[in-house]
Amino acid sequence: MNRHSFFVCESLQRVMQNASPALACTLLLCGLLMSATGCGKTPAASFRPNMVEAAKQRLTPDQEAQVATILEAMFGTPDDPVALPETGLDVSKLRLAAGPVHSDIVGRKNGLFREHCSHCHGVTGDGMGPTAAFLNPYPRDYRPGWFKFKSTERADKPTHADLVTILNNGINGTSMPSFALLGEAKVDALVEYVKYLSMRGEAELSLMRYYFELDDEDEGKLPETREFLVEEILLPVAERWQEAEDAIIDVPEMPEVDLQESIALGKELFYGNKANCVKCHGVTGLGDGQANDYDDWNKVVKQWSDEVLSAHDASTSEMSREEKAEHRAWLARSDKALAGDALDPRTIQPRNLRQAIYRGGRRPLDLYYRIHAGINGAPMPAAAGTLTPDEIWHIVNYVRSLPYEYDGELGADRSMVARDRL
Amino acid sequence: MRNMRLTSEKRSVFSCFVAHSLLAAVLLTAMTGCGQGRLAAPTPDREAAAVLRQSLSSEGGDSGEGGAAAASTGTGWGTLTGRFIFVGTPPGAKQLVVDKDMAVCTAEGRKLFDQSLQVDEASGGLANVVVFARKAGRVKEREFSAEPLVFDQKACEFLAPVFAARVGQAIDVRNSDPIGHNTNVSGTSFNQLIPAGNGTLFTPASETGMPTMVTCNIHPWMKAYAVFRKDGYVAVSSSDGSFTIPDLPAGEEIEFQVWHERSTGPNGALAAEEPELDWSSKGRFTVTLTADETTDIGSIEIQASALGG
Repeated sequence: MNRHSFFVCESLQRVMQNASPALACTLLLCGLLMSATGCGKTPAASFRPNMVEAAKQRLTPDQEAQVATILEAMFGTPDDPVALPETGLDVSKLRLAAGPVHSDIVGRKNGLFREHCSHCHGVTGDGMGPTAAFLNPYPRDYRPGWFKFKSTERADKPTHADLVTILNNGINGTSMPSFALLGEAKVDALVEYVKYLSMRGEAELSLMRYYFELDDEDEGKLPETREFLVEEILLPVAERWQEAEDAIIDVPEMPEVDLQESIALGKELFYGNKANCVKCHGVTGLGDGQANDYDDWNKVVKQWSDEVLSAHDASTSEMSREEKAEHRAWLARSDKALAGDALDPRTIQPRNLRQAIYRGGRRPLDLYYRIHAGINGAPMPAAAGTLTPDEIWHIVNYVRSLPYEYDGELGADRSMVARDRL
Repeated sequence: MRNMRLTSEKRSVFSCFVAHSLLAAVLLTAMTGCGQGRLAAPTPDREAAAVLRQSLSSEGGDSGEGGAAAASTGTGWGTLTGRFIFVGTPPGAKQLVVDKDMAVCTAEGRKLFDQSLQVDEASGGLANVVVFARKAGRVKEREFSAEPLVFDQKACEFLAPVFAARVGQAIDVRNSDPIGHNTNVSGTSFNQLIPAGNGTLFTPASETGMPTMVTCNIHPWMKAYAVFRKDGYVAVSSSDGSFTIPDLPAGEEIEFQVWHERSTGPNGALAAEEPELDWSSKGRFTVTLTADETTDIGSIEIQASALGG
């Protein structure tokens, strides 16, 4: 008998001596049931497979198991992370962030990700921790490898410093707090671990999607060679993380014009057909111009649930008995994956620019990055190439003036009233 | 059995016990969750993973078996052609909800319709079917066209509902409308503002695999598909359902992938009953071409059910 159940039994005995027999019975039974159902040693943490993608790709249980085994070979487990040299990741940092919360032999705190991040982002980094469903916006799912707030071109990964900035500052207007008080070393370790989870998630997606690419003679099994797993699956992802430092957006100086003049030019662009900001951010800048669009994370779930819904309605009259059974089993799996492994898709709101809340940072430079490259994963398009750097700066200045613009200056069909500010 | 004769006190304790045990069981099941009907996760094979990790970390420890895929024996180049015919009655196209920039998008009472199923009334030809070579043993060297391909949008519609290009070929993404658009090619991170009457160059840097969706976030009803292939061996069937892919390597088996937006097959793979072409459930068929000749695979019948009825 372990110590825990010994205490349970002893306290039960004591309660039984004093309390009514009925209550004692209940407590005894609870105790019995608890020891039967577990409540003993916590099971080792495991990464949750991407069940939505698995159902979408119609993987068989054997194929799901193969992906899980390959990923364990390449990335280890949440308690024991592994990073192949090709990832460029620092395993000592990963160890500090991974595992259950505990102090190591020199008294240094380990298990930082599970202590600070996993309740929202999940042990797997799938953005589905226990609190996720209650937050708006939902916590980031790292697995597709898209990051919004960064100093690099749209298609590129964030730099290490970009992610450090996010952890230090938090994300204003969301549930993401600042972790600056953890100190440099711990934030650094957590950033490394986020990259690790993201690479793992992207590798998982590539593996699951590759089954469709297999030839008939492969018999539904991925090749387990170094050539395939490292060179074809891992390297394309890892290299893009390593190239991020070279993809930082080149930002020229703000043009030397009078600020009021720049704001006026920016306003013209904002409402004009060239920059077209007004279409989504609205004539008042309140973010009410476009209400029925999704970001890429939610779009994946939305489009697939629509597909499953129409598959439910589709006629099965031309199917053979086996095909029908297979179809029904796939629908049941898909429904379950959507219910248990995805959050209800939500539309994305264009930012309300009257609030002076800027998620990716409030410096003029941050706003320049947002307009130049757009926001990866969100509907916000890139202006680079169609607008000159000077024009982007004018829009930055106009946007920064919006929270303080005078009433009656809106040129809109709707006047600015106090309640609109909120 | 004698024990059943309980005193009244004992009996009440007994019934209480039953009631409470039920309550306890319910409470505990609720607490421990019972998995809430979540899909069971597959279990990784620990030992196999450890062995595999060894082979992944040792450089050259496992040189891989595949090697040169499908050694090519032929020398010349051939052309593939064929036609897709829709069998059945095509359902009427759904009208799209247009709620923005109506002055341009629905000028003079114009209506916009879903373009995902385009069947030629006279011949039954099925347009916008994508055909591409999965892998070719040899690739003929061809110049990229000096003039960029044009991908245009007008009156709030993409002019090419399905668009194919070779990786590295410059594409002029145009906007012929008097209003602004943005063009968002999913999976490529290309999402660019296209001012009224303007354009911007986009050069795809990698393959898409199956065609990927192109949207305009300002006008959510706008939708098209794009497919980019490294070897450029890709075609989109025209309004009469015909397609042609020239300059393919002759004398080797080439497997082609077929896709349609409305297909109910996996990832949009299009099903057809063509045993002679080895047409698979993944929408693939195999052909060997002859040098300097055009191989016509004839009319491929596509059942309405393969496109969702």
